[in-house]
Amino acid sequence: MKAFEYVSTASADIAVKALGGVDGAILAGGTDLLSRMKDYVTTPKRVVDFNPQSVVQKETSPGGVPTWTILAGTTLADLLASKALREELPALWQAASEVGTPQIKNMATIAGNLLQRPRCWYYRSGFGLLSVKDGKNLLREGDNRYASIFHTDGDALFVAPSSLAVPLIALGASATILGPKGERTVMVSSLYQIPKRDSDRELTIGADEVLTKITLPAPQGKNATYEARQKQSHDWPLVLASVSLRFDGASVSQASIVIGGVAPIPYRAVEAEKAMFGKPVTLETAEAVAANAINGVKPLSGNVYKVALTKTVVKRALLAAVGNRYWEEV
Amino acid sequence: MPSVWPENPRLIGTRITRLDGLVKATGKAKYPSDMHPEGMLFGAMLYSPHAHAKIKSIDLAPAERMPGVKAVMIVGAIKPGSTLRFQGDDIAAVAAETEEQAWDAVLAIKVEYEVLPHVVTEAQAVAPGAASVFKGTGIVNNQKKARSQTNGDPEKALGAPGVVSIEANYMAPVITHVCLEPHGLTVRFVGEDKIEAWASTQAVGVTAGDLAGAFGIPTTNVTVHTEVMGGGFGSKFGADIWGITAAHLSKKAGGRPVKMFLDRAHEHLGAGNRPSAIAHVKLGASKDGKLVSLIAETSGTGGAGSGSNFPLPYVYAVPNSSRTHTDIFVNGGNARAMRAPGHPQGCIVMEAAMDDLADKLGIDPLEFRLKNLKERDMVEDGFSKPTVDRTPMYLDEVAMGADLIGWKAKWKPRGKNGDGPIRRGLGMALHQWGGGGPATNQVACTINPDGSVEMKSATQDIGTGARTIFAIIAAEVLGLNVTDITSNIGNSTFPPGQPSGGSTTTPAMSPPAFNAAILARDELFVKVAPGLNAKPEDLTLADGQVCVKGEPKLPWKDACRKLGQQSIQVTGKSSPGLASQHGGVGGCQFAEVSVDIETGVVRVKKIVAIQDTGLIIDKMTWETQVYGGVIGGLNYGLFEERVMDPTVGIMLNPDMELYKLAGASDIPEIVVRAYETPAMKARGVIGVGEPPTVSTAAAIGNAVSNAIGVRVPHWPMSPKNVLDALASKEGKA
Ligand SMILES: Cc1cc2nc3c(=O)[nH]c(=O)nc-3n(C[C@H](O)[C@H](O)[C@H](O)COP(=O)(O)OP(=O)(O)OC[C@H]3O[C@@H](n4cnc5c(N)ncnc54)[C@H](O)[C@@H]3O)c2cc1C
Repeated sequence: MKAFEYVSTASADIAVKALGGVDGAILAGGTDLLSRMKDYVTTPKRVVDFNPQSVVQKETSPGGVPTWTILAGTTLADLLASKALREELPALWQAASEVGTPQIKNMATIAGNLLQRPRCWYYRSGFGLLSVKDGKNLLREGDNRYASIFHTDGDALFVAPSSLAVPLIALGASATILGPKGERTVMVSSLYQIPKRDSDRELTIGADEVLTKITLPAPQGKNATYEARQKQSHDWPLVLASVSLRFDGASVSQASIVIGGVAPIPYRAVEAEKAMFGKPVTLETAEAVAANAINGVKPLSGNVYKVALTKTVVKRALLAAVGNRYWEEV
Repeated sequence: MPSVWPENPRLIGTRITRLDGLVKATGKAKYPSDMHPEGMLFGAMLYSPHAHAKIKSIDLAPAERMPGVKAVMIVGAIKPGSTLRFQGDDIAAVAAETEEQAWDAVLAIKVEYEVLPHVVTEAQAVAPGAASVFKGTGIVNNQKKARSQTNGDPEKALGAPGVVSIEANYMAPVITHVCLEPHGLTVRFVGEDKIEAWASTQAVGVTAGDLAGAFGIPTTNVTVHTEVMGGGFGSKFGADIWGITAAHLSKKAGGRPVKMFLDRAHEHLGAGNRPSAIAHVKLGASKDGKLVSLIAETSGTGGAGSGSNFPLPYVYAVPNSSRTHTDIFVNGGNARAMRAPGHPQGCIVMEAAMDDLADKLGIDPLEFRLKNLKERDMVEDGFSKPTVDRTPMYLDEVAMGADLIGWKAKWKPRGKNGDGPIRRGLGMALHQWGGGGPATNQVACTINPDGSVEMKSATQDIGTGARTIFAIIAAEVLGLNVTDITSNIGNSTFPPGQPSGGSTTTPAMSPPAFNAAILARDELFVKVAPGLNAKPEDLTLADGQVCVKGEPKLPWKDACRKLGQQSIQVTGKSSPGLASQHGGVGGCQFAEVSVDIETGVVRVKKIVAIQDTGLIIDKMTWETQVYGGVIGGLNYGLFEERVMDPTVGIMLNPDMELYKLAGASDIPEIVVRAYETPAMKARGVIGVGEPPTVSTAAAIGNAVSNAIGVRVPHWPMSPKNVLDALASKEGKA
């Protein structure tokens, strides 16, 4: 790890100032940043230890839809401790519960989770985000078992790492960001972009900006997440899907279906969403809708298996939302 | 008269808690990597970032100028012009006041490389025109073919009318040892010609010899301590280049101690691995299930020079066979012995083929195995005579295991395990190992006038419980409690002890420990008999008392007080009959799995492990060895794989994150049973460190195939490998 300057603050204003004009990085739980620094993948000149409060709350505004607010410093452990969140936002709760290990969940924050950098083994070995060397895309030519199956025409073949981004996007969450020019609020989905050049970032947040909170409208309907993972704990999802469904009677009147682990950004399965419209969620419809989720898929040499996985997790997330967990052993 | 183990032991064979268990579990035990002698410097290694490169130049000067740096050096025979053959190959080293300063200095060393073309996967290595890892006699296109071994006429036997056969490919990847405590030591150069080291090693004596040899000083000038150590699995038999380098750095730094432990990446890259196995197998049997022929072409890589062979045919009687093995060399770290070297690979290949053939024959794979055991399979007794027949042992063991897993009730043929998304399956595999111990070691036993007892030898505890074993044996002989005995091990200056490899420690060390305790006891009897008006041969020890003709007469401490100023100090050696010298054990394991065929995720529900290993000294440490072996095998079966990048030649998962290992929640119910009949006990002591890790991965692979109805030819049983196998069955691959 390279030596660095250190600033510690609970104030977002001070954090923004501290980031200004230097090659700086926010340190939240540190579970991602520190490992990159130890591997010399990230070498900030100044580390700004931004330790805001850990708060999850639901506010009811008179007449309007109640809003959930999750402050940037909220740990995954605190998210999971909220009974109300578990009941109302099971998609988020489930995704958080499957992250890493209890130790990681105690340290990791929601902001750090959303803004963590890709886990791609070429990026982590110092070959850059796109891992193109001498005109060769290392991930395309090499071991791409964990890589993208969508948007694979370009050079960004890593997968977006955040599990929490997937349900938060499905639930229509927004992120509030403070920068030198003031505050702005964007949809969580627009925190991410597909980099075209190695100098691009996969995150849209500026280097001198700070994420302060996540807000989302209390969902009207049902939501769920299903994740496929090799190990029981201390592992990453291979693929996960979150759904948020509104109903008109028994039929779905609006569906958001977001898939993680398949693209350099959380992947919105628009065609599957359309296919779900106007139908009840049954084993048959879920299967048919899931088949739509893989339209346009272009797997790489070593990750064809992810196509089958993608269908499965979409199907299971839809069914989980309506309480059908057919895959569980009795 | 040679000694014999007590017929009705009080302690031997019972369940006794590891004496150092609590200090290990609470973190009080000081591992070599915990040592921090005063004035200690931190060492760090510079290793090759390239798979294959020539060093054009090395400039240490920038590192020497860095703050806190006390010594910098080039390691081994490295010089400009040297070739580095794998990522992780050692180049230079630094010792500095802090760990951070040491790493900063390592980064400051300027090396100019001429990067050479590399081969890091087996496929790359054997491709036409591939770059050559090294030149050597008999090496063609990075391959060295061993002479083929042929018995009978396998081609003819396979083609004979009525023979049913399979032809299949099986593959298991390179895996690494992943010792929790990395390789290394803390070392101090004392004066002109003395060395003291705290090493994480499975052989204190070898490590002392390596250090002495490197400096041309007598071994008596070197003391290596290994109070406890955090895992070796075959990869920690000496000082290694890192330890010798650390001693040089200490010498250069005026004798300040230097701590040199590898980082996790270096550990994966350069500290050993289990070679891969790639097998093309034809196996045939008569319709009624008698094996007739095996034809196997196998290969594997053990890195940039090490071999990769494994036993095949394995366990079963195959009247006609031919086997050709080819070592493939790649620009990767070299293999080292790893828990039962070769056997896990041989077991996977043989047992997968056995299952596939049983399926084709339509025979229960359990029955098929029993039908094909050798008619007689003679292994040694405690007097090195081949009087023990392993075949009836296997029959008994398989019956025990089948019962515990519920084979009769639960086993169904492939493809008959339901039609829901979750399929259950059962699999099994047999294994064998040696596990005896040589008769070349010594143990000192001291009885002091205050009644304290010390057992002492230059062996070490790699996890098999050497301290506890000594204490049990001494307490048994002296009529004391296990906690009354102090076992001192892990010091190279003690009487010569066994290096911990090949499951030899307990069988090699128990006999001299027993004889030492007997000699000490007898000397005590001679000293106290006159005072009791008895003859020494009338005396016995029981329940902390000296007894005359069976009557308790004198408490232990009072008896010892009669020694006056003089302790009893004797050294015991081995004698025939107490332990097997070459072993020859068998065992079997059963796995029950559930496989989600829509995700490819495998969950192991239960493992049953049956093992014979002669006379068991401590049932509890014996069982923990079996648990550990099974968990290691489960990792091989489900998770582990060294992943190499062909383009840039690096390992992509040199960590403990994407190099996957079971966590507590991945570990199923494990049922362990010893096969411990009077006939087994009569063989004397045999080690158990290795055999129980051999067949787990094979049994899991077979259970997965049983569950999903199709062979998964690639280990580990990952979602990718399972889904790929399912897709190829449907013709989609
Ligand atoms: C073995 C293992 C398994 C894991 N499994 C999963 C998994 O299944 N799913 C998953 O999603 N994650 C997983 N993780 C990753 C883990 O969830 C993240 O490392 C963690 O959420 C990051 O949070 P943090 O607070 O520690 O972030 P930090 O490491 O402190 O920060 C991460 C990044 O976010 C930036 N940042 C943090 N806070 C702010 C802010 N307020 N404003 C602007 N920038 C900010 C930092 O500068 C840094 O670049 C796993 C990690 C490990 C080691």
